[in-house]
Amino acid sequence: MNNQIWETRPLEIWERAKELRAKWQKSIDESAASENALLAHGNAGRLDWSVGFTGLNIIEDNPVGAMLANKSDEFSRKCRMAAEIRGWGRELCGYVNNCWGSMFLGRQSDGSEFPMREMSVPFPDPCDQHTKRGQQCMDLSPIPRWGSDFTMYLGPRDPEREKAMIEHKVYCTLHVINEIERVFGREFDDEKLIAAIGLRPQIEIYAREITQLMTNIPSPIGQKDLNSFYTVGMLTKVDPEETLDFWRSLRDEIKWRVDNKIAAVGTERYRWMEAHPSPWHYLKYYRYMEKYGAVCIGSQYTHMMAGTLELKEDGRLGPTDEPRLPKDRSIRTREDALRATMLQARIPCGFKADEYFRVTAITDFAKGFHVNGAIMPLWRGGVGCTLTRKEQALRLNEIGVNTLHYEGSQPGDRTDMDEHHFLDQLDMWMENQGLRMLD
Amino acid sequence: MERFRSILENFHTYAENWKKRSGGRVLGYYEPYMPEEIAYAANILPVRIMSRHAADDVTDRQMYGNCYCTRDMLRQFINGDYAYVDGLVNTEGCQWLYNAFQTTLNSKPELYGYYLFMPDYPDGRTSKDVLRSELDIFKCRMEEWTGREISNDDLDRAIDVYNENRRLLRRIYELRRADHSVISGSEAMELVLTSQIMDKSEMNEMLKAFIPELETRKPLSDGVRLMLIGSETYDVALEKLVESLGANIVIDELDNGSSYIWNETIPQKDRLMALSLRCLGRPHSALKDSVWRRRPDHIYRLYEDFQADGAIIAKQIYCHPHGTDMYMVWKLLRERNIPYHTFERDSTLPYEETRQRIAALIGMIEPGITRLSGWSNS
Repeated sequence: MNNQIWETRPLEIWERAKELRAKWQKSIDESAASENALLAHGNAGRLDWSVGFTGLNIIEDNPVGAMLANKSDEFSRKCRMAAEIRGWGRELCGYVNNCWGSMFLGRQSDGSEFPMREMSVPFPDPCDQHTKRGQQCMDLSPIPRWGSDFTMYLGPRDPEREKAMIEHKVYCTLHVINEIERVFGREFDDEKLIAAIGLRPQIEIYAREITQLMTNIPSPIGQKDLNSFYTVGMLTKVDPEETLDFWRSLRDEIKWRVDNKIAAVGTERYRWMEAHPSPWHYLKYYRYMEKYGAVCIGSQYTHMMAGTLELKEDGRLGPTDEPRLPKDRSIRTREDALRATMLQARIPCGFKADEYFRVTAITDFAKGFHVNGAIMPLWRGGVGCTLTRKEQALRLNEIGVNTLHYEGSQPGDRTDMDEHHFLDQLDMWMENQGLRMLD
Repeated sequence: MERFRSILENFHTYAENWKKRSGGRVLGYYEPYMPEEIAYAANILPVRIMSRHAADDVTDRQMYGNCYCTRDMLRQFINGDYAYVDGLVNTEGCQWLYNAFQTTLNSKPELYGYYLFMPDYPDGRTSKDVLRSELDIFKCRMEEWTGREISNDDLDRAIDVYNENRRLLRRIYELRRADHSVISGSEAMELVLTSQIMDKSEMNEMLKAFIPELETRKPLSDGVRLMLIGSETYDVALEKLVESLGANIVIDELDNGSSYIWNETIPQKDRLMALSLRCLGRPHSALKDSVWRRRPDHIYRLYEDFQADGAIIAKQIYCHPHGTDMYMVWKLLRERNIPYHTFERDSTLPYEETRQRIAALIGMIEPGITRLSGWSNS
């Protein structure tokens, strides 16, 4: 048993992360109130075209639904009820029911008016419910909606197969931009897009470094911290330069913590991973596990900014082979910029494809982070949140990683989650592994 | 009709016999968007993977939160019921079906597996191009797998056979528009399901002999005419229950019901583009009705054309595409004052409970229908 105690200290960047998040939230509220700003439902994802439109804010239902679940159980319950009576079942995604239930009620948790979306540009994702998102606001008021696809395939990389997929995604994005220009009379700034796209690979490099630093023992930060950061630049869009600077600063601070052996959990003696989002109304289980000296090093989901990872020969996590843009390729137009982004991205890209197709991704992750155990939620109300989870647990068991499942409705919906039972499960699981709470 | 019913009830035996007889391969598929013609052109029998009602004590290891249908598909593979299947294809669609495909491949690595990307945004301008490209690659993979080239003539032959099958089944569907139909809802659904597991060339010959027989049948007695909307079905238990109450399902809007046969491939020189356009142009499934909605218009048109008096929405528990589209369907039916009843199906149909509910719906509709009060007969 490792009885070593490491120094802990609060993250200095914490305040800045909160400021960025507040700034983003303010921009959403202001854009709804301002005649000069536009508010869109959706998410531009990696291909962040939205930066080219001044005053356009784009917001996905995930962060709204998660925040509602975290802030007020009473209000989020009312929201879900408002959605249910209109036909959305309770076995559906809590994010969706919270967010659009709030729209049906016409108000947010603080009592302010719900900011109505002026268009819907859903984030392509294999999850069925992502595909259908934003139809709720389109049905309520006649706003335009434009689509795209999450192009995937099974098997080894096939650049020939990807060609048509890339063209499809580039066209869909160009179409969205042209349509926003036409319908809303807004001018698109190609230079801003080109600049932002140039910054993106660097953000991913910092994110990947952070992931690699978190494989260190003791882990410099834990999942509870990472939950506050991983959306910056993805679901939470702020100025690209500011985003880059944030990730650089975060990397610097985490590196400093590793160099000085500053731990997320001073008594770290057990490392665990998880999958997909946490129950946003009940994050205290991270603190509860700390009583056992257990630190959560994150999940493939919260490390998604780092891109797809695999275990290298030296036992460290590194990027999977990705197509890179030829160095002599010039980017002059928005089409060049979008195509370049798609070429840089892996198709199928991200952790979703890792979950679906690359069966070794989960075990690589576990090995790279030296985890002892995994706590894998089973969310009834989310296809994308649950698909492959049981199989992942089987694979982890095969490499000696103990796995615990717990059940609930969905990260944004506490209806079916029994918190007391969950803590009992944690106690039994840890004790069965020979661990006791530390004094 | 008995022959079709027997094949449907014994679909495993049918496919096993086909394989012995023809020497061809059997390719299981999950999504009704599957471009079957390409596989059929390579002398492969595409069969829809169908669930059955049986106790499941094996799939909990791999699945959680799935609809029962996808659990049962995996169960049948693990139990060896689908041992005759040589390969599996999943086209992008419902994620539970994807999960059944993926867990089956992980459990049975000896099976050939192929994932075909099918746009979830079928209305996009480049959707047809990306799908055409995918079909081209799929065709090459089928050629590699079987070791035989798929010529244009092969594709033409397959397209003709499939179009003819759709046309014959549409003829039967058209008979259901009559005031006094000669075919019940359960029989029509049995035929459409049978077409998803049979060699269509063989089925076409059977249908050609069956349709004249059908047309001379004594019409069914008049009753409440209902429309069926909702998740896919693999049996006709609900249709039979409705018939036991003196009503009839005259039309459905199910992904593997009417939507499976509704549009034909319009021939063109570029065969793969023709197939691409058919797939994208078929009535949208709940999932792929993802931007501007087409489903409400299609549902209402079917409702009017087949002179339905009410609707049943049968949603599979944990069917997320239909769960997210329910709002739109309710809105449509309410706005047009169409009586309807929604219920959820699980591994089996809870007979007595469902019977009471459907009886209540029929009891609510019946008094308001003039033609059933005897006036038109006087």
